Amino acid sequence: MTTEPVDDRPPAAGPSTNLIAAVVVIALGGAAVAGAAALGSGPGTWPMIVGVALVLLGLILALQARRAEPPERFTRSSLLVVAAVASMIAYVAVIATIGFEIPTALLAFVWLRFLGRESLRTSIAVSLGIVVVFYALFVGALDVTIPHLF
Amino acid sequence: MTVLVGYLPTPEGEAAFAAALDEAARRCEPLLLINSPRGGAPVSTDVAAPDHLAALLAKAADAGVALEIRQNSHAGEFSDILLATADEAGASVIVIGLRRRSPVGKLFLGSTAQQILLNADRPILAVKPPHR
Amino acid sequence: MSSVIDGFAVVLEPANLLYCLVGVVIGMLIGVLPGLGPAATIAILLPLTFGLEPVTAVIMLAGIFYGAQYGGTVTSVLLRLPGEASSVVTVFDGHALARQGRAGAALGIAAIGSFVGGTLSIVALTLVAPIVAGFALDFGPPEYTVLALLGIMLVSTISSGGRIRALTAAAVGLLLATVGRDDFTSAERFTFGNLSLADGIDFVPIAMGLFGLGEILYNLEERHRAVQAPTRVTNVWPSRADLRQSSGAIGRGSVIGFVLGILPGGGAVLSSMAAYALEKRRSKHPERFGRGAIEGVAAPETANNAAATSSFIPLLSLGIPANATMAVIFGALLIQGVTPGPQLVTEHPELFWGVVNSMYLGNVLLLIMSIPLLGVFVRILRVRAAVLAPITVLITLVGAYTVNNSVFDIGLVIGFGVLGYLMKKAGFDPGPMVLAFVLGTLLETSLRRSLLLFDDDLTGFLTRPISGTLAVAFLAVILLPLARTLLHRRHPSEPSVPAGGGTESSVPAGGADSSAPVGGADSSVPAGGADSSVPAGGADSSAPVGGADSSVPAGGGADSSVPAAGHAYPFDSAGGEAESSVSAAVRQDGSDSAVGASSGGGFGGRASRQRAAIGDPEAVDPAGTPSGAASDRVTESPRRDNKAEEAE
Repeated sequence: MTTEPVDDRPPAAGPSTNLIAAVVVIALGGAAVAGAAALGSGPGTWPMIVGVALVLLGLILALQARRAEPPERFTRSSLLVVAAVASMIAYVAVIATIGFEIPTALLAFVWLRFLGRESLRTSIAVSLGIVVVFYALFVGALDVTIPHLF
Repeated sequence: MTVLVGYLPTPEGEAAFAAALDEAARRCEPLLLINSPRGGAPVSTDVAAPDHLAALLAKAADAGVALEIRQNSHAGEFSDILLATADEAGASVIVIGLRRRSPVGKLFLGSTAQQILLNADRPILAVKPPHR
Repeated sequence: MSSVIDGFAVVLEPANLLYCLVGVVIGMLIGVLPGLGPAATIAILLPLTFGLEPVTAVIMLAGIFYGAQYGGTVTSVLLRLPGEASSVVTVFDGHALARQGRAGAALGIAAIGSFVGGTLSIVALTLVAPIVAGFALDFGPPEYTVLALLGIMLVSTISSGGRIRALTAAAVGLLLATVGRDDFTSAERFTFGNLSLADGIDFVPIAMGLFGLGEILYNLEERHRAVQAPTRVTNVWPSRADLRQSSGAIGRGSVIGFVLGILPGGGAVLSSMAAYALEKRRSKHPERFGRGAIEGVAAPETANNAAATSSFIPLLSLGIPANATMAVIFGALLIQGVTPGPQLVTEHPELFWGVVNSMYLGNVLLLIMSIPLLGVFVRILRVRAAVLAPITVLITLVGAYTVNNSVFDIGLVIGFGVLGYLMKKAGFDPGPMVLAFVLGTLLETSLRRSLLLFDDDLTGFLTRPISGTLAVAFLAVILLPLARTLLHRRHPSEPSVPAGGGTESSVPAGGADSSAPVGGADSSVPAGGADSSVPAGGADSSAPVGGADSSVPAGGGADSSVPAAGHAYPFDSAGGEAESSVSAAVRQDGSDSAVGASSGGGFGGRASRQRAAIGDPEAVDPAGTPSGAASDRVTESPRRDNKAEEAE
């Protein structure tokens, strides 16, 4: 009766997602070809080759879209990823101005409390702990040049 | 109607189980055991090993009580899961084990028992392991 | 010879000793943890290497790589959860031994086997690498062009998600490499007027983003992974009988691992599977395998460490990375101002020999520390992912800043992290992209020089002996699978599904560091098991693991994937045999089916995508219960009986 380590991965999406991916690839290839053409013969040759290859591959992907392995679906938990990315963008935005300590603590807290659903106590404690360790490590021991307030 | 017990492989958990077994026998109800570790890590000390559970099943069989065991992991607070399960299973009473915590310990580490007690909408039987 | 001795002197410098230890410990740790794998971890730690000497940096990074091979074993044996893709095969017998109370013996033999395999591999490396390097000094642009192309092609063949997707990823990688100023004409390409891009995209943000951050984001979606009780390891050492029994397996495993590790595309995962299959095939009592045969642990563990070591050969002697992890180390060397290539042995002998000799030391450290650290590992496993994730993310973000003191770089990392996440969601392995990016400039420059050499005549490649052979190999790798698809269509009776019970066991490997190996020991073209650095579950894609889901029709045509029950992701057998010898070996057994383990998640891919279709119902239980969440076990007491016990 051991609980087995199985992951609950998100379910598979439909084949249309494969098609979308294929279209993206073709579009990328097309853009590469266009850019390469603008560059002319010398510098543009290789990007042209790669661009053409991308378009071809994209076409094959589109043809195979139905048969190929379905990718994963975006589920509610995918919103976590969106939130995570948003938090990181916010982090980047402020770090240069107010140093790394506060944004680090905040980011850690957000990730622990909201993304990880840890208790309030744990979230606060670990966030503060991270900042302290980072400070000791990066500013103290390694003497790395990150913007810091204190 | 069933008796619900929150179980951990600890003395408190064993005490809770014993009390729950008595209670279920007394009420002539089946017993539902929840052993739910906090999800997110591959290993947890909260999980009861298979032979452990087998022993529990044996004890239940001896007492003539129908035992159902659930071992899903949970995210978030255990008290939420326990109370939700109580609702879903129609528990007539919830049995939990109490840990000795100093007031300071409770401050820093929180008290699941306290949350259960405060939020429950049905009787709770709180058990302490026998004093050593 | 004196350079070898000098190399030892280098290793024994305190800084190098320390970083070797650090690397090996970190490697073991991430091998244990599902989620991050070696490639992702190395990528994340790249900024750390800036302040170090090149030798020290590579010593540490190498330690991480082969250390991870050992760490993955711990969870395989104790928890039936492979920490790395190369440890998937160890699960069968390793966990069986653990259930018999002999976890210590399994872990001990794994440690010994790893040590022996690694050491023998290093010795062979010491002899072979300089020879290859000497041979390669004659390489000119045409040779490098074809070699780079071949490497990319081979790695793509083994990658998760199938060859087309891997090639697409590689093509995008090549495109990314063109951004910046053209070497030949100084024209600005694809910079969109942005100053920061004028010098091209830095390797570090790409590696950190695609592997490190991408893996972390991908793992965020995981929910409710089933949890196990911590196991106690009692007897800690294998018996004399165990050692005797395993000696042959260890010897053979070392050879297999060494050979398969060198080939681009080969690697730790393929080696572990091939070694296991070989042992089983030549055993007089093959039915013991899956039930606690000690050779079933010794063989794969020896092989994967041997392969991890020998996969350094193409990098150090030719300058061609054989898999994604090597690609990241390649990048690390470039950052340090060292260009890996045939001249590395002669121009930087202290680096070359320092790294090689550090592996001896590293293996000794692994052996010494593995047992005492067991308890630590089990404790580490109790840390919740929710706590580890912000720590890893912050290390990544802060590290990204320190590269160039630029916020733009962090932005790049985030951008590539999102890209990596989307790619993994869509089934694309980020590994080939990183590999192609790293090789992109080399490839283009070599190609253009070759064309100058041949006056734009492509057949010129065939006129030179080496490039000609490689070009033929390249074409073979492309064409053989097509030929097989056609052949297969005409003979559909070929059972492409590993029959056996057709039961599927999902053995999620955390952070696999390889994609599913295919092809197997007999393919003349090393198709198959590319250690396309898939770090797993964890990052890197992992995990790995990574979970690469190569579609390989074991024994069948290229794309007629008939999965063995449920969602066993078939393997993509690249060129080579119609049957992966791995599957063949295991399949010939009555009760067993081919091990259709789709391992390897993308670089740093999550092992969660790994599903080992193991047809032996007695060895491993079909974990892929229809109800999905295996954690949802409901047992009723009146019906309690032995079935419940066995239904693990």
